[in-house]
Amino acid sequence: MNILNYILIRFLWAIPTLLGVSILVFLMIHLIPGDPAQLMLYPRGTPEQVEALREQLGLNDPMAVQYFNWLKDALFFDFGKSVSTGSSVISEISSRFAATVELALSALSIAVVVGIPLGVIAARKKNSLIDYLCITFSLGGVSIPVFWLGLMLIFVFAATLGWLPVSGRISMDSGMQIVTGFYLLDALLIGNLYAFGDAVKHLILPAVALSTIPLAMVVRITRSSMLEVLSQDYMKTARAKGIPGRLIIYKHALRNALIPVVTVLGIQIGSLMGGSILTETVFSWPGLGSLIIDSINDRDYPVIQGVVFLATLIMIVVNLIVDVLYAYLDPRIRY
Amino acid sequence: MSINKTAQAPRSFIGEAFKQFRKNRLAVTSFILVIVIMLLGVLAPLIALEDPVNPSPENRLQPGFWAGNFDHPLGTDELGRDIYSRIVYGAQISLKVGYTVILITAIFGTLFGLISAYYGGMIDLILMRITDIFLSFPPLLLALSVIAILGTGLENAMLAIALIYIPQMARIVRSSVLTVKELPYVEASKSLGAKNSFIIIGHILPNILAPSVVYLTLLLADAILYTSALGFLGIGIDPSTPEWGAMLSKGRDYIILGQWWVTVFPGIMIALTVFAFNLLGDGLREALDPKMDV
Repeated sequence: MNILNYILIRFLWAIPTLLGVSILVFLMIHLIPGDPAQLMLYPRGTPEQVEALREQLGLNDPMAVQYFNWLKDALFFDFGKSVSTGSSVISEISSRFAATVELALSALSIAVVVGIPLGVIAARKKNSLIDYLCITFSLGGVSIPVFWLGLMLIFVFAATLGWLPVSGRISMDSGMQIVTGFYLLDALLIGNLYAFGDAVKHLILPAVALSTIPLAMVVRITRSSMLEVLSQDYMKTARAKGIPGRLIIYKHALRNALIPVVTVLGIQIGSLMGGSILTETVFSWPGLGSLIIDSINDRDYPVIQGVVFLATLIMIVVNLIVDVLYAYLDPRIRY
Repeated sequence: MSINKTAQAPRSFIGEAFKQFRKNRLAVTSFILVIVIMLLGVLAPLIALEDPVNPSPENRLQPGFWAGNFDHPLGTDELGRDIYSRIVYGAQISLKVGYTVILITAIFGTLFGLISAYYGGMIDLILMRITDIFLSFPPLLLALSVIAILGTGLENAMLAIALIYIPQMARIVRSSVLTVKELPYVEASKSLGAKNSFIIIGHILPNILAPSVVYLTLLLADAILYTSALGFLGIGIDPSTPEWGAMLSKGRDYIILGQWWVTVFPGIMIALTVFAFNLLGDGLREALDPKMDV
């Protein structure tokens, strides 16, 4: 089977899953014990307002009609209106989307840039002190609650040393103008280096906190898969041919060792989303994580539905991409 | 000597596993740590210094032993409650939540996995599609959605967390059963006319015990982490409950003011407990099933 067929089949398999997800997300509002409209307006809603909201949400239609209407809109990212702010759910989401992506990408970059070299060093110097430190870190890193780590970082670097800000994305006086919503990019686009530095300072602590779990995973997987590759016959061949040590490590070994790392990063996307909800809460980072917590507290179900559906969609797509990438990276994989 | 050794009767499965486990020093240490944490929880009413819930505003935010305060060795929180006593009672809650989640997961995961693997066909296809759907949600978001539907509270939080793991458990059980099902002695038992229920209880369940125990121990670590996350977010658990995560939820306000003890100690307990169960799970995996890699 060639790779295009494989991609097509994986894509087709994702469709029933996505439909199932959409049914569950849609049902969310109907599974609430009691009248959702009344609950969302509690305690201020008059009977007329409740009836108007029921009409607006389409709650008076038959269930199947409601679902198809919801799905039809959801496919175009229309999740209705937020009950607490009155603006459309998708505008609420898109105004915060970039903040979460910026944070998550920074955390992933830290995990990759720091984790891969650490894993390689640990594998090359197996059973050395640095190897033991890496193993301990990769075991401990997954046990430390990310929100507690965030609080500790705030305590040390913000409250005690005063090097970095406690919360938020940018200072009021930085002269930041929003172009794309990615503050690092925006600061460069408007040529404001002060704002760029300010945005970086705000980003460091949350990104470091969020990176711990993926970093621990990357170190662990790079180390073990590097050890496996280094013991292969073709490594001996490369050495016998007289290729210099560094070149062997980086060109022959690492390339092969990275395949499982890609998969692990892909699997991590779900836990990265969870971690980002917690990190955003700790650092008052105005992203999707804090949006969902606020909307759960406000019982703003259209927003909850929108965020959950979109996040799950992203997770399904990322897993698809990782699967395809995996098949591409490793020509031995043929399905 | 060596002849004697080879002539020895083979040890039982449990005996061999125990020997393997004892050799792993890290695993033994983690086992002792787990016992200590359990004892903290069980003995909480005896070793706690104060009631963990009643506020005493006159004692608020006092530092602990480092400031010579031995009435409140780990200090007091923003409502004047003794942090040490709350941590001790917190062990009770974390373990209770952990075990309940495990119990729910084990029962339903095993049930669905068994049905799926044993009956196969359409039933298998449908059940596995459903697990696919649940597994495609980001785990914390799935738990938060369940709480958004059912409302807050410890019981709902436990259900929400269990829902993350039931599909995974079902998968593990299913794949173990599929392997065991084809083994000759199951075939033999079948041809001798054994009932389905007898084959499942007598032959299949004992064989999937090892991977399940390992998975459930690692899951316990995860479940404790998720419970504390829900407590921290102030969504799963009533904030007056002495739950470790909930104890941290107001932490940022005080840590900025330098009152670090409100946050530091409960966090250390979470990390230590999760770490201990993770190590224990790794140790059990090596002892019970060296081939397995979750």
